[in-house]
Amino acid sequence: MKNLVRTLRLQRGLAQGQLAEAMGVSRQTINSIETERYTPSLPLAIALARYFGVTVEEMFDDQG
Amino acid sequence: MIRGSCRWLARSRWSMLAFCLPMGGVMVLASALGGQLAAGVAGCAVLVVFGLAIALASGSETIRGLRGDGRDERFAQIDLRATAVTGHVLILAVVTAWLVEIAQGHSGNPYQWLGALAGLTYVLAVVFFRWRG
Repeated sequence: MKNLVRTLRLQRGLAQGQLAEAMGVSRQTINSIETERYTPSLPLAIALARYFGVTVEEMFDDQG
Repeated sequence: MIRGSCRWLARSRWSMLAFCLPMGGVMVLASALGGQLAAGVAGCAVLVVFGLAIALASGSETIRGLRGDGRDERFAQIDLRATAVTGHVLILAVVTAWLVEIAQGHSGNPYQWLGALAGLTYVLAVVFFRWRG
């Protein structure tokens, strides 16, 4: 699923590992979300959106 | 307390070894009962070496996922899919072996009841998970 995770992460100057640690997942999971190979669970999607201060709809685009 | 300890163990690098050690012990016991103690000890040694190798190996995601300390929701999904693939392969093997057995004029056992067990387990699991939501 298309998403803004990479864009928002880079805006904050975070490495994938740092975001992964904050979310309690592996770095590879963050990488898989950013490259649209993995669609996160609803709790993780909400946690990511809250972390970056956006809504889930803003962060994830199911039409893409 | 026990539950917490189990959770810690399941997510630690020692989880595979913690599985292999009792399995090895059971293997030795079963082999001893069958009069094949040496084969059991050899099998146990292979299991323990495998468990130690996984525990001491440094960190690819696959190794960390296999031993438990690198598990997250994505790896849980990978684990679920891998388990499903394993189940499909086993069922296919059992059905094939059963067909070969009956084609050779044998009773089809033990593949007959293993196939029946697989089918029954699948149906019960579908009913359970449907009910559980």
